[in-house]
Order: sequence, then C-alpha cells, then structure tokens
Amino acid sequence: MSIQPSNSWFICIAVIGVFAPNTIRAEVDFNREIRPILAKHCFACHGPDSKARKADLRLDTKEGSQVDLGGYSAIAPGKPDLSELLNRIESSDPDEIMPPPEHGEPLKAPERKILREWIASGADYQVHWAFVRPQKSTVPEVRDGSWPKSPIDYFTLAQMELRDLTPSPEADRDLLIRRVSLDLTGLPPTLEEADSFRDDESPYAFEKVVDRLLASSAFGEHWARMWLDLARYADTKGYEKDRHRNIWLYRDWVINALNNDMPYDQFTIEQLAGDLLPSPDNQQMLATAFHRNTMTNEEGGTDNEEFRIAAVKDRVDTTIQVWMGLTMGCAKCHSHKYDPISQKNYYEFFAIFNQTQDKDQEAPFWETSSNKQKSEIKTLREKISKLDSDPDKEKDLVSLRKRLKNLENQKIKTPVMLELPKDKRRTTRIHQRGNFLTKGETVEPSLLPIFGNQNSGKSVNRLDVAMGLMEKTNPLTARVMVNRIWARLFGVGLVETEEDFGSQGLPPTHPKLLDWLAIEYQDQAWSLKKILRTIVLSKTYRQDSKINKNSLSKDPNNRWLSRGASFRLSAEMVRDQALAISGLLTTKVGGPSVMPPQPPGVWKTTYSCVDWKNAEGPDRYRRAIYTYLKRTSPHPAMTAFDAGSGEVCQIRRVRTNTPLQALVTLNDVSFIEAAAALSQRMNQSSANLNEKLHNGFRYVLVRQPDKRELDQLVNLYQKLKTEFDSNPDSAQKLLSYSRLKIGDPALVGVANVLLNLDEALMK
Amino acid sequence: MNQQTRRHFFKNTGLGFGAIAFQSLLSNEGYAAPARDYRIKAKAKSIIYLHMAGSPSQIDLFENKPALKKFHGADCPQEYLEGKRFAFIKGTPKMLGPQFDYTQHGQSGQWLSSLLPNLSKVVDDVCIIRSLHTDQFNHSPAQLLLQTGNSLPGHPSMGSWITYGLGSSSQNLPGFVVLASGGKTPSAGKSLWGSGFLPTLYQGVQCRTDGGDPILYLSNPDGFSRNARRLTLDALNELNQMQFDKTGNPETISRIAQYELAFRMQSSVPDVMDISKEPDHILNLYGAKPGHVSEAESAADPRVLYKGDDPTFANNCVLARRLVENGVRFVQLYDWGWDHHGSSPGESIDETLPIKCRQIDRAVSGLITDLKQRGLLDETLVVWGGEFGRTPMMQNNARSELKKGFVGRDHHPDAFTMWMAGGGIQPGSFGQTDDIGYYIAENPVGIRDLQATILHQIGIDPHKFSFSYQGLNNRLIGPTDDGQVIKGII
Repeated sequence: MSIQPSNSWFICIAVIGVFAPNTIRAEVDFNREIRPILAKHCFACHGPDSKARKADLRLDTKEGSQVDLGGYSAIAPGKPDLSELLNRIESSDPDEIMPPPEHGEPLKAPERKILREWIASGADYQVHWAFVRPQKSTVPEVRDGSWPKSPIDYFTLAQMELRDLTPSPEADRDLLIRRVSLDLTGLPPTLEEADSFRDDESPYAFEKVVDRLLASSAFGEHWARMWLDLARYADTKGYEKDRHRNIWLYRDWVINALNNDMPYDQFTIEQLAGDLLPSPDNQQMLATAFHRNTMTNEEGGTDNEEFRIAAVKDRVDTTIQVWMGLTMGCAKCHSHKYDPISQKNYYEFFAIFNQTQDKDQEAPFWETSSNKQKSEIKTLREKISKLDSDPDKEKDLVSLRKRLKNLENQKIKTPVMLELPKDKRRTTRIHQRGNFLTKGETVEPSLLPIFGNQNSGKSVNRLDVAMGLMEKTNPLTARVMVNRIWARLFGVGLVETEEDFGSQGLPPTHPKLLDWLAIEYQDQAWSLKKILRTIVLSKTYRQDSKINKNSLSKDPNNRWLSRGASFRLSAEMVRDQALAISGLLTTKVGGPSVMPPQPPGVWKTTYSCVDWKNAEGPDRYRRAIYTYLKRTSPHPAMTAFDAGSGEVCQIRRVRTNTPLQALVTLNDVSFIEAAAALSQRMNQSSANLNEKLHNGFRYVLVRQPDKRELDQLVNLYQKLKTEFDSNPDSAQKLLSYSRLKIGDPALVGVANVLLNLDEALMK
Repeated sequence: MNQQTRRHFFKNTGLGFGAIAFQSLLSNEGYAAPARDYRIKAKAKSIIYLHMAGSPSQIDLFENKPALKKFHGADCPQEYLEGKRFAFIKGTPKMLGPQFDYTQHGQSGQWLSSLLPNLSKVVDDVCIIRSLHTDQFNHSPAQLLLQTGNSLPGHPSMGSWITYGLGSSSQNLPGFVVLASGGKTPSAGKSLWGSGFLPTLYQGVQCRTDGGDPILYLSNPDGFSRNARRLTLDALNELNQMQFDKTGNPETISRIAQYELAFRMQSSVPDVMDISKEPDHILNLYGAKPGHVSEAESAADPRVLYKGDDPTFANNCVLARRLVENGVRFVQLYDWGWDHHGSSPGESIDETLPIKCRQIDRAVSGLITDLKQRGLLDETLVVWGGEFGRTPMMQNNARSELKKGFVGRDHHPDAFTMWMAGGGIQPGSFGQTDDIGYYIAENPVGIRDLQATILHQIGIDPHKFSFSYQGLNNRLIGPTDDGQVIKGII
C-alpha cells in the first residue's frame, strides 16, 4: 500500500463535491455544488457588495441572475445555450471571458459542466445552508442496524456505507480511557483508574468513567483553554509596551463556569452583557472582562481614540466570529463580497459596542478580594475582635488594624465593561474605507439581519446582542459551538473551516449530523457537559484508531469517521500530561498566573515591567493554562506546539509537526524534571529492572508493552547505564540538572524516551 | 508496508526543514499546498533584512539638505504643522539642520554623511531610496505594517510569507531566522516574526548569539552527551516504528523524521552559528568579534549603555552571510537603539547616533563586500532601514534649545530613506524629497510597494500570492492593488 503524504483528502472532498458518482447525488445541490463556484469566481464583482458590482449584474440572487440585460440574461433557467453566463465562462476571447484574466483563473471543465447541468435543470437558488435554521433531522436508514447506538452513529454510518467503509471495532479499554480522559480533562488516567475500568464488568462502566471525568475540576481547566483562545486572553496589554494586566480572575471565571456547567446562553449573556443585567453580582461583572481582553496601547503619543476604536472593532469581529462563525473584517471597509453583511450593517452593529466607558485604558475596573485576601481579612478581624477588650494589647491592635487596612486596599482590580451614562453616549458614523477619521453617514445601533430577529433603535444594547445570539431563530450559534466541540474531540470539525460558516467556508461533511447536534445542544439546555457526554458515549467516538488499508485509501483523513480520532496533543496537554505522569503536577485550581521555567534571555523586550522569575515550589509545576502569557513574548515551549499569543481571537490552532517540538520535549528543563520524577516513580515501583520499565511504560501509555517494546527499553537502559557508568561526572550533572539528589541517570534517559514516544504525544 | 513507509520517510527527509514538516502538516490538517501560479522568475534566492528598530534619522545620514541647514534654528513654518499629528512634538518646534557633514562618494556621486565612511566605499553597489513613506507614526504599528503588512499584531511576517511560498532550501536549518542586537528586541516583539494565520511552522526562529542556546532547547540537558542522545533516539525511533506498524498513522513516520532532523540541527546549527571559524580578515571586514557578549544584555537600562565597539550587530551580519550560504531563505536582523528623540540620555542625534553608526557602518559594508567577493550578492537581496523617518524639526518637548546630548528628532512617517543592494536591484538612487526633507517630491514609495518589490525579487508575484483565511484572500501587500513593484530600481 502506499501512503499519500500530501493533500489527498482535500482533493477527496472536491471529488465528492463536484464529480460525485450518481449514486450519491440525484440532482445538483445549489449550496453544495454551485454556490462555492459562484462565490469563488463571480461574487467579488457580481455579489452582495453593491459598490463593487459590475455591469449591474448580481449572481448571488435568483432575481439578479435572471435580470434582462437587453434581450438576454446571465441565466436563462432550463436553457443553458441562451445563458450568457455559460457563453462568457466558456469563451476563449480574452475580452469576453469571465472572470476577466486579470481577476482570476478560468473555470475548470468540471465546474463549467456542473453549472450547465444546474441551469439545464432550472437554475434553482437556495439560501446558503448556514443561514437556514437547523431542523432536527430524523436518523437515516442504515444497512447494518446492529452497529449504531447513538443517533450520531446512524448519521456517520450512513455516510460510511455510501462509501463502502465499515466502522472500526471499539477501542480497547486502555486506549479508550486514555483518549476520553485526555479529551475531557486534558490529563491522562492514573493506572488505578485504568485498571478499575478494565475490570469493571458493568454495562455502564464507560458511562461511569465519563461522569467521573465530567465532574472533575480538571474538566474546566482543560475546556477553558478552547474558550480563552477565542477570548484572546493574555496577562499583558499588548502593543509596544505590553505591560502587565490583571485579568486572571476572568480566566478563573471561565474555568468555574465550565466546571459548574453553566448553560451556554447564560455563559454568553454574562460575558457579553453581565454589566447590563439587573443588579449584576460580582461574578457577572467579572464575566464581562471577556471583551476587555482587547489590547491597550500605552506607547507615547498614540491617539487613544484610534486604539479605542480598534478595540471596539475587535469586540465586534470577535463576537461574530466566536458565536456565529462568520467574518466581519472585510465589512469594516466595504460591504461583504460573499455574505449578506453590508458596511452599514457592520457599523450599525458596531454602534451597539461603541457605548462603553473604556478608552484605550485599563479602567473601568471591578474590585474584588482574592480568596487568600478574604481569609486573611477574616482572620485579622477575628484576632482584632478578640484583642479588642484587652488594654495590654493596644500596640498589637494598632499593627493588626494597619494590616487590615492594607489588605482592604489591595483588592484586585479587573478591567470590565461598563456602559456610558445616557447623556454621554457616542454617535456612530460609518468609517469610510475603514478609516476612523473619514466619517460617513450616521447610523443607529442594530442587530445584524442574519440574527434572524432584526432589532434596531437607540435602545439596542449588548444585552440584546447576547439574547439575539442565543435565540433559537439564530441559525448559527448552536451549529458553530457544537462544531467547535466536535473539532476538539475529532481533530477537525464537521465544518472544517470552523472560522467561516459563510459561503466561502467549506460545507459540512455531515450536514444532518451537525443539525442534529445543534438541536440536541439547545434541547439539553445548552449544557456543554451533556453534549460532550452524548458524543463520547457514541460508538463513533469509541472506535479504535488503527488505520486499515480500506480506511486509509477511502478515508485517508478520517473525515468519514470510519475510525477513532488520533492526533497530536495540544501544547497545554503535552506539558500537563508529562507533569501528571511524573507525579509533579500541582493540582491547585485558579489564582494569578505563574512562571514555569523558560530559557534565560527570552523575556527580553523593550519595556517589560514584570521580570520572568522561574517559579520554585508548587508553582513550577502547574497546568499550562496558568502559565503567564505575555503577548509579545509567549512561553516558547507553548509556541512551539502551536499555542497562540492572545493578540487576536484564535478560532482554531493549526497543528504542526516540527523539529523544534522535538527539541522542547527532549531538552526543556520542565520535561527533564518530569523525566527524572518519572524515573523515581519507576524506581520505587519495583526492585526488578524489567518491572520498573514495564511500569514506566504503563504510567505513560496506560497499555501493557509487548515483548519487543520492553526489550527495546531494557536494551536502551543497559546502553545508557554503560554510558553513565563510564562518565560519573555526566551522571552527576544530569541528576543535579534534573533536580534529583540521588537517582538512576540511565532511568532518567529511558523516562525521557517514554515521554517522547509518538504514542504519548498523540491521543 | 514497512518498506513503503521507509521510502516515504527518506523521500521526506530529502525535502528539508520546511518541506517535510509541511508535508506532514498537509496530511494532518488538510491544508492545500499553495497553488504555484504566483511563482515568477526569481532574481534573489535569499533575503537579508537589516531593520534598524527605532528608526534612524535620514536627515543626518542620507539627506543632504543645504536649505534645511540654512533654516536651522528658525521656527517651523505653520504650514508644516497644520493638521499634523506628531508622537511628541507640541506647539511650534525649531528647524534642525543636518548635524553632520555631507560629501559625495563613488562613481555615482551620492551624498552621504560623515557617519557612514564605510558604506560610502560600497555606495556604488547600493540603491538608496529616499522617498519611502508609511501611514504609521508609532514604532510598534509601523514595524508591524512594514514586516507583516498590517499595523495590528496577528498577521504573518514577510519571512513567514516567503518561506510559506517558497519553502526552505536548507536540509538542516529553518527557512526564516531572526537575529537581534542592541540589547533588546524591537518594540513590537515576537509578533514581528510570527506566522499569523499561516501554520506556526513558518514563524521566524530566533537564533541567539549571546552565549545561550543558539536555538531554544537545542542543547541536551547537562550531563546528557551526544552519544546518550543518539542512543535514546535510536530506541525512540524503533519504538515509534513499532507503533506505526500497528496503527499505520503517517504522522508517526513524520515524527520520526522530525526527531532525526532535530538531532542533525543539534550539530549543524552550532556549527553554522560559530563565526569564530571565519578567518581574521573576514571578521575584520565586518568588525566582528566572536564570543562577545554585549554589555547591554545585562544592563538594567540598555539605552544608556551604547558602546561604540559593541560588535553584536557585526557578528550577526557575519552569521547572516553564513546562514544564506547554507540555504536559509530569509534572515531578519533587528538592531535596537535608533530612536533618537533627544529627550533622555543615550538617545540623541548628536551623541548616540554616531555610536550606533559605528556599530553598523563597517558591518553593512563588510556584508556587501563579502557577499560580492563570494559571488553571492547577485542572489542575495540586502535591505536596510527603519520603520519610519525622523522630522527635520527638533523635538521640543524636553527642551527648546539645543543642548549637548539632547539633540533629537521626532517620528516622521511622511518621508524616509532605505537602501537595498544585490538581488537584482539596480544600484543608484531613487526618489527625492523637498528642500528640507519633509515631503516626498518625486517617486513616492509606499510600504506596500517595498513589500511588492521584495516579493517580486525573490520570485513571487505579489498580487497573486495569497492565503485564504476567514473568507478573505489575505496577501502581504493587503487587499487593494496600491502596492506595485518599484520598476525604477529593478
């Protein structure tokens, strides 16, 4: 067999979309087959943007395409030969051909062919699939009725059967518990957990594991990362000075909200508009820091208004990106060329966000005491009240009172959203070509038409936005979120372009499954834990990830889900897993960000007001979500594994596989300390070498090593032992570098290999 | 299967740093390889971009303006101030004439100030562009606009675009290397060499010359010999191969290759980085001193610690040449310390600018000479400049009268000077400003034009070269066709 190294599945999608055999497609599907062609080649000049429109022709609507152009029309339904569109795309005259040569490549033969078929069959238009409300789909019929368990499985199996694929068998329990533990908590299972699952004969054994994981506080710490990427969370303000920002309470808010399974509608409303709720509580105010993660420019001589507007635009773009999977960026300067968002729509929506008090500064703040401060304050108060009646303790009392006052002054100030008072509200005008100094027409705040529940007028505010996003009339919110959840579990979304559900994005591989999940998510009261539970309990999720010949050739990238997902762990998981396996992990939840070791000299930027001091003690070994993130200088080990900088909303991370990653997990002191601690665990687990190695293998991969694998480890251990025995200096150096007083350097080397196994870095 | 995969493995390793990782990326992520229709005939194979972070004063280096000299000390006419925004200047500043003498050099008779005696000797190999302009007047956004095509952070840098478009021709080195000198990294930080929405594979790899690992995490842990590393990698490869035999996941094969590449880099990178291997006459040509660790590195405030003899930039220039010789596509140098406002000690035109010029003048002329004598100048494009210019007026917020050590100029986006050499660029000069160097008088060159020209020389059609992300066809030169190749210099 041969392995396709390149973009084979990409082509595969195109093949199915455009040249699909008749068994799959009865008639031309406008959304799937025609719109992408028109969007790619035509809409830039003949689309929704009226200013860019040429020859008064628009092809994005049925009416527009049939407009009388003087005795003929671009499209004459049922009459391909009378359709000017076909004449023009098939022309060889450079003055005639569309698109004009300077605008792009001519259409390819299959594209021309399918356009002809579509026109011949009546040239029907459909609204872009993502703008139509999802309907609860009934499960399709399948040939092998014995396999599916969850409705999810019917949808995936139906697609597999169309392609002569069969599902893979269920993964063995070691693999399954490792996969589901990493997916739900970002941490591997302990051996005790794995063994008890393996020995559990109850039919609900897996359900029990899943419920335990969903209830663990590690769940929120793991899933918060996805949200923090979207929220562009960082511990600094960005731009040139990039000084410290105190906003970790927001990060903790996200973790807690997820751990409490806060419904997505509440989660949304509190973050977008917590301050506008009737008498918001402390937590609801902190939630609004979501949109205070925008950058603040403290460089000398900058125009605060310019960067205030940049922040407001960022909030607009991020809101639409995160909740609706659409891009608004282009509508800042001109009407969207592909999707129904005009420039006016953009600034009407911008007007809603243009009413907060912040102006390129950290204020306004919300003041809170940390738990530690709270408990100290409580203790001090108790002490004071005890001493109060004792005249001999007057001196102590004075100093205690002083400390109390100090503590109360040290409340944590978190930047939050606050609306301007009524008499200070801003007027919004369109920024021509996106330039805030070139002001055009005045606009009133309004929701976007694609919300499906148009709402406009002076009183429209962020709370209306949040409510509008969560209304069931909104065609996108639920789909975008379930697709995102799916992508974290399966490596790629049902809509691969998580960031673009518009007409330029890729269509879903399983449109009915996507809609089923979207409705299910809404019906389960927007519960993240419930929808995750539904997905991971499916047989689709539980498949083995081995790639057989048939599935490799017909489903090379597993888009048809004929096997379990297997892909590299995220930057955070790579670190957290090593710490967990070695026993070094500090499990404390929340608190200010920490500084695990990074190489000297990295933290060297023009104005850094906080020094990077490699943490000692428990803070050295905390989960990666707590690592201090400076936007202009993210931790290099995180960057190597594709983590972002928090400068802009990051919808998905593109996974890479590079030698710099190998250098991190082989050499970074954090991974060496983890290897050392793992070697100690191995050492203490048995007196017998083979058993030590066997146990080490299992700590990392959960499963048992086979004989050849164990032989490799024994062989490696003996060679390393010879190496270190003949170089006692090196042995001593390695031990002290890896923070072991006494230990076995050869075993440290073996542990280093275990933590670098491909199988360990993948799930 | 085994044989097939091994063949696949060796085939991949032959493709070099960028290519192999890109291959695996494709198979995992389903990203289409860039369509090749943007490829055009290349004039240059590599680029060495020398960015003087902070922005040097073109008035005191390249712009001989007798008229400005004549008006020295006079109040700036209101017509130049109306409707203008400055970073620091307030009210009516005084005109500030060129602070150093100008003489003509080379066959071309170009005017250069006395601060650039060595560049003057190679001026006939250089094209000086005196008509650059930008629309950003603060460091960070101006640097970002120049290097990423967008004034806000989060977009791919020029080096990322180019390595994405062309790949790397090096087996063992990254395609895009960043070197910093002057004691600090530039204002906009690592966003300047980030890969934005392109895969992180294409981000610049900062190589360090200050005594630490030249590439982060390159060294084995203390006490872990190269032999021990080899033993561990042999075992790791065997175990990973067993894993592949069981699961058949092509990413496993790719990972084996990446670990082997990492191992090779552990020797090839320090080898390339070791400029002490250069003969003395070459080191002297640049003014390089191998092994020097800049005092500014350890200073609390490096701005007051410029030493005229700090050779870090010169060392980086030698290194840049070695890197392009070894197939690195884009070498980006940043030199910090060119922001001469005159408002605090160590950042003045009269005292600090001459020191900074001593640090770079011999080095850049050495680089040009050395590339030329090796026959590499034709295929290496060298670019030098800041992110904007400096005002022909004195900055007046600190003090209104000239005082030694406090002569300074504010940021000036409307006209500034850069130069290019090699890579198919015609030596000479291009563009002119008015009599006092305030506005462009002839042949304006925008940042987008500069970017278009750089892409063009390296063999990329700047208008066709795009990456589809979030529904937009993103390009380095931005969405409009304002950016045009500067026909007058190629």
